[in-house]
This record gives sequence, C-alpha cells and structure tokens, in this order.
Amino acid sequence: MIRFYIPLILFSFMVLEGVSLKLLPNRLVHADFILIPHWVFIFLICVVIFFEREEEYASIYYAVIFGLMIDIVYTDILGVYMFTYAITIYMIKGISRLLQDNLLSAIIFSVVGIVMMEVIIQLIYIVIGVIQIQWKDYVSLRLLPTIMANIVFLLIIYPFVAKWLSNWKVRIEKETVS
Amino acid sequence: MHFLRKKRLFIILIGMIILVVLIGYSLSNRGNLSKPEKMIHDTVGWFQSIVHKPINYMSNVVSNIGEMKNMYEENQLLKEKLAEYKRLIYDVQQLKVENEELRKLVDKPDSIRDYRAIQATVIARSPERWLEQVTIDQGEKAGVKRNMAVITPDGMIGKISATSDHTATVQLLTGFDQFNRISATVSRKNKKGIFGLIEEYDEKTESLIFRIIDESDKDLKKGELVVSSGLGGVFPAGLPIGTVTEVGLDQYGLTRTAHVKPAANMHEINNVIVVDRNLPMPEEEKKAKKKEDKE
Repeated sequence: MIRFYIPLILFSFMVLEGVSLKLLPNRLVHADFILIPHWVFIFLICVVIFFEREEEYASIYYAVIFGLMIDIVYTDILGVYMFTYAITIYMIKGISRLLQDNLLSAIIFSVVGIVMMEVIIQLIYIVIGVIQIQWKDYVSLRLLPTIMANIVFLLIIYPFVAKWLSNWKVRIEKETVS
Repeated sequence: MHFLRKKRLFIILIGMIILVVLIGYSLSNRGNLSKPEKMIHDTVGWFQSIVHKPINYMSNVVSNIGEMKNMYEENQLLKEKLAEYKRLIYDVQQLKVENEELRKLVDKPDSIRDYRAIQATVIARSPERWLEQVTIDQGEKAGVKRNMAVITPDGMIGKISATSDHTATVQLLTGFDQFNRISATVSRKNKKGIFGLIEEYDEKTESLIFRIIDESDKDLKKGELVVSSGLGGVFPAGLPIGTVTEVGLDQYGLTRTAHVKPAANMHEINNVIVVDRNLPMPEEEKKAKKKEDKE
C-alpha cells in the first residue's frame, strides 16, 4: 500500500506544476527572470535520500516515467525530461550516501541536482534548436532564480515529506522482517 | 566510483540512443499525436481541470481585492463607453444584414472572415517557460483541430499545436518561431493596405516582428492596429494581433519591419475562443476533390 503513495504524490505534483503560475503573485510572473517549478524532481530527491535503500532502483523508474509524462503533457518534445531526470537521479543516488540524511544534505543535493538537470536540458534544447540564448543570460535569467524558487519549495515540503518518508521506510522494513 | 562501471555505462549509452530517437520522432513533422500520448493528455487533463477550478477561484479573489481600489474610476469610464457601444451595436446589426443580403446576391455565402467559435478554458500552462504552451479543456470531440487560431476578446494569442480527444495544446504567440508565420495586414479604411508576415517574437523588446512585404502606403505609424489578413490560408481574416510600437529597417536594410505589441495579455489567459475558419483550407479542398474524383 505504502508503495502506491509515492507515485500518487509524484502524479499530483506533476499536475500542480501546470497551475503553478497561478499560485505565484503576479509580480513574480511578470518579472524579467523565469521561475521553473521542478517539484517532481525535488520530491524524487527526497525519496532517494529518505526512503530508498541502496540496492533499490524504484526512484530511477519513477524518474523515467514521470519525466516522460512531463515531456508528453507540457513540452511535446519527447525524451528530454525523461533522460535528464533519470540520469540526474541516478547520479544523486550514487552520491547520496556521502552525507547523512538531514535538511542540509537535502538542500545540497537539490542544488547539485537542479544545476545538473537544468544544464543538461538547456544543452539538449540548444542542440535541437528550440531556444537560442547566451549561457551568461541563461544563468542570471533562469538558473539562479529557479534554484532559489525550488529550494523555497523544498523548505516548505521538507517537514512533512521527511517525516512521512522515514516513517514509511521503517514500516516497510518491519513488514519485510515479519 | 562504483556507479560508473561498464554495465552502467552501457545503460547510459542506450538511454542516449533512446533520447535521440525520441527527439527525432517528436521533431519530425508529425501531424497528430500518437494514441498513448493522447491517452496521457486526456487523463492528466481531467485531473488538471479538477485542480484548476479551486486554484483559479482563489487567485481571482486575490486579484479582485487588488482591483477594488480603481473600481469607481473604471465604472465611470465604462458607463461612458457603454453608451457608445449601444449605437455601435445597432450599426453592426444593420451592416450584417446588409452584408448577408449582398452575399446572397453574388452567390458567395462564405467569406474568409467567417468563423465558428469554440469556447474553451485554460486548465494548465507549461512549466517549461521557453516553450510557451498552454492546455485548454476542449479537444477533437469539440471540433478543435491542429493549426486553428486561438483568440481572447482582446486579440489573437496563438494557435493549436496538438490535440487529443478532450484537451488541446496552444502554442502562444510569444513562443512563435520561423515555422509559425502569420499573414497579417494593417487595418485601414481605404483599400490600399500594408501586407506582411508576423515572423517571430523578440524577447528583448517584448514584441512581435512584422516584416512588411507589400507597402502601398509608406506611412505606417505608431499605434496602428495589425490584424490577420486571412491570406495565409489557416486563420480567418480580421483577428486583431497587436499595435505597432516601432517601425524601422531590418538588419540587412532591405525590407522594413515593425515591432508589434500583442493586443492580448499573454500572462493571464483564462477563457479563450478557438476559431474554426468556415472557408476550407486550399489543401483540404484539393484532398476533398481528389476523393470525389476517385469515387
């Protein structure tokens, strides 16, 4: 049962990303910089840090599935988010045991993950010619504001998510033992 | 580190190949979405339309409180305008009747101005802001097709880029590139006009680039209204696009271009109208004729 919670939450975050601009005050929407919600991705990082054991790979499957869904629903260019989410979550999983699971490490991994993912996405978009932008403009226009906004989102969901995920982990371990 | 062993490297390489194949597939000029894509569009769209309602209500309440301050002045202004409109409505009705009668006389009932309107609500906006897409809650079942124009009462906002059964994706004017040109003209009283193409959206000046092709009058001024001309074969004529903010030469000095500020607000779009041109597109006409011939 618990295992169904995570895809459900991921799905609802994906749906909410579509109305995220309505949730922001108008001043931020009209501003020069661009904020991109990566809520699915942030939650996946939390799953990797707080829920998953080392030998499990469910988070990477989720990254592939929900990355592909984001591609289909929001961008119409298939594969970009799917590939980027999967490879970034994979890397995060590789380095997630280097630090203890607490708020600070969640923030560090989120920042590292978002930077990596965003840069890969921009690279792909530039290569296939969807956008033309200077990297310098890109960093100040989109990358830094996006990191800030998503860290704020992480701080908002952290108290609930960290508690729930660690609880679920304990319960699943108990079930498998008994 | 252990996560870069041979097997892992192999999987990553396969992933890259899949990525290239998928991108190639989605960028190739495909007409319609595939079945699974449509299914996901419809399912997610259903959830989005549920979530969208309460959130939209909340954001409306918040913005209404902000607007309360200017209400009195606005009310005065609107009352004055309303009086003008009453007379205008009478004129329009007269003209419509007359137009219809004359059209019957010359036996040409359809014009490139006519369109059927499909009302729709915006249920989501793509979080990937480079691409400037929104999703609306009407799809093929309601008669929405690819390449139809989408307008708000203020003016044109974009065109349909993909459809599923119950949702459709709208490409906004601000995300237009060289593959999405609009044949446009300047709305004027005399017949001589200025024709050209709306080519792309310039982020720096926040305006559309209007490349002038045929300029019978060389006096394009600031503040003039640019409308779709209907000659591109896709959109009906007379949809307002925006107002001219600047006229100048293009980068090579060969043609003149104008900056056009979109008439509709691209940030706050709630209710839109999908425009179904009554007159069939030239290509469709040909296809229909071919079918008839075969039969």
